[in-house]
Amino acid sequence: MSPTVGAFWYVFLTGAAVTLWISWLALLLGGLVGVIVGMMRISKWVALRWLAVAYTEVFRSIPPLVLFFGCFYGLSYALQLDLSPFAAATVALTATASALMSEVVRAGIESVTHGQWQAAYSSGMRYDQVFRYVVWPQAIRVMLPPSIGVYISTLKDSSLASIIGYVELTKSGLLIRETTGISFEVLLIIAVMYFVINYSISLVGASLERKFKYVH
Amino acid sequence: MYEFNLAGLLPYIDPLPRAILLTLWLSLLAIVMSVAVGVFGALCRTSTNLIPRFLGAAYVEVLRNIPLLVVIYLIFFGLAQVGLRVDGFNSALIALTLNAGAYMTEIFRGGLLAIPNGQYEAARSQGMTGPQLYRYVVFPQVFRIIYAPLGNLIIGIVIGSSLASVIGVEEVTTWMRRAGDETFRYMESFLAVGVIYVVLAQTINIGRIATGNWLLSKAPVGARR
Amino acid sequence: MSTEPASPVLRIEGLVKRYGAHVVIDGVDLDVVPGQVVVIVGPSGTGKSTLLRCVNGLEDIQGGRITFEDQPVLARSRTVHAIRRRIGMIFQSFNLYPHLTALENVMLAPVKVLGESAKEVEERARGLFRKVRLEHRAHAFPSQLSGGEQQRVAIARALAMNPHLLMFDEPTSALDPETVGDVLTVMEELALEGRTMLVVTHEIGFARHVGDRMIFMDGGKIVEDSPPEEMIANPRNLRTQQFLGSILHH
Repeated sequence: MSPTVGAFWYVFLTGAAVTLWISWLALLLGGLVGVIVGMMRISKWVALRWLAVAYTEVFRSIPPLVLFFGCFYGLSYALQLDLSPFAAATVALTATASALMSEVVRAGIESVTHGQWQAAYSSGMRYDQVFRYVVWPQAIRVMLPPSIGVYISTLKDSSLASIIGYVELTKSGLLIRETTGISFEVLLIIAVMYFVINYSISLVGASLERKFKYVH
Repeated sequence: MYEFNLAGLLPYIDPLPRAILLTLWLSLLAIVMSVAVGVFGALCRTSTNLIPRFLGAAYVEVLRNIPLLVVIYLIFFGLAQVGLRVDGFNSALIALTLNAGAYMTEIFRGGLLAIPNGQYEAARSQGMTGPQLYRYVVFPQVFRIIYAPLGNLIIGIVIGSSLASVIGVEEVTTWMRRAGDETFRYMESFLAVGVIYVVLAQTINIGRIATGNWLLSKAPVGARR
Repeated sequence: MSTEPASPVLRIEGLVKRYGAHVVIDGVDLDVVPGQVVVIVGPSGTGKSTLLRCVNGLEDIQGGRITFEDQPVLARSRTVHAIRRRIGMIFQSFNLYPHLTALENVMLAPVKVLGESAKEVEERARGLFRKVRLEHRAHAFPSQLSGGEQQRVAIARALAMNPHLLMFDEPTSALDPETVGDVLTVMEELALEGRTMLVVTHEIGFARHVGDRMIFMDGGKIVEDSPPEEMIANPRNLRTQQFLGSILHH
């Protein structure tokens, strides 16, 4: 690392911390919304099912960049809201993450076999008991690995917050690039930092996955 | 009070078809090129030789863990600094291809690994040559496994092509930003472009579902239920 | 065990079950009195398993009536949960909960559904593990157990609810031949205790030794209903003859 760029180490690290924070927040909120939408997907009411499908498909189909733009400029003008880049980025990231999470939740629940429902029902459990004691504990294990994938994907999407001026890792890099006039080295450092963060997360995820297998 | 007014975008309607075509063209090229990269990558990753296997794995891990936006900047700004000037369209195309190629590699590898060794042995024992074996036995089975993730990845490529707007490629997202900036009809331009992307993605999605139904209709009776 | 000649614990009258246009059960009448072991045999796809699932209210029915201990069994009704608690069901594919140990599988419903104290249930469960001869496997997960062991845990799980009727849906069909015997032994012991049992199986030997009644079902109907010895030695119906012939000489 050249001394010119190295002098900005603190800016790089702060940027990385902001990236971790906002993507974690979006994963949390997206997980909450995703559980609700995912449960709607398997509801017995057709209207709820369709609503959930529409939600998932719309937010899976619109590019996150377009969502950032829509949240930051669109909502600000349309609702006369002065949304901060942070608020807009959180909303946009949550929308994308929740669409992904709703699929993860649905797949998790559907992975629990029919026989499990039958066995639980035939022991006299109600729907909510079947869910709580038999289906959910199994679904959670299935949901874990793809949730790690959603986190990594959300973390990468958070780079797009740079477009609306939110200073996370990518924007930090772009600012350093403007200040120093050095492109390649700065961008490479940013890329390496993303790689290290995401690869570490995927390693942690893999070890959690092993730990979560039924046989210990 | 904000008045929703889609008509405010009318002066910008002329360049829109061109922008949509550019999005489609960029996506199409990226799909074709990343399929080629993916096939090659999958062959590397399933090779018996350690070196291609390692290189394939490294390629996949690196590209899957770096945001597409950063890859685009690296190629557009970064390479320019070391003397390689690539224009916006080609930078976006290369970045998209590298990015999607990593996912393609994993999809194809998964498909290849899912075919049990006995299938190869059975085909060989009946005297099939290499190409026949792939054409009649391996590929039809691989396709059944990969068509669904492939459809999702293709949607991902179309969505990813929106990032070309940050380096000035005049595709749909750029149109949205320009129309918004010049009319302050941000919400309208966002919704219009949102609809366009939803239509594009869902068209691919319907194609994927239709492929699934077609495959199911061809499945032997015993394979259903 | 009650000695009164007893009204039936389970009464099935004119039961009809259809999936769309496909008739699976076509007018079945059946009474089971307390302490009776009823073995149902017949070719696959003739509605034997569906019959058990209807009795448990896991399937809605298109005609007829099922009464368990003087209460109508209606799928999706409020009362169905209470009825299911009194009927133990053992499945062909065990359906143990993979995220719980064998002991936890047995304890789950008594603690969570019946609201009994975990301490008492655990004591009872330990006893059940002895009964099915798996006391050394109580802390294993289902994936660590053989098929025969899993099925015996499933039997213990059903017994833990103190059921008034035990239903077995081809309990040995998914097992390796060498583990079938362990499961049949446990079932035989349950029958000797005087349990009321409804057993769908292809094990003719079990039917002969343990069954009080043998029922042959074909095409969604009860074709023949007689003491096992009699049916095996002297089947009245041609289809019964063919079926028994095919599995006895197999």
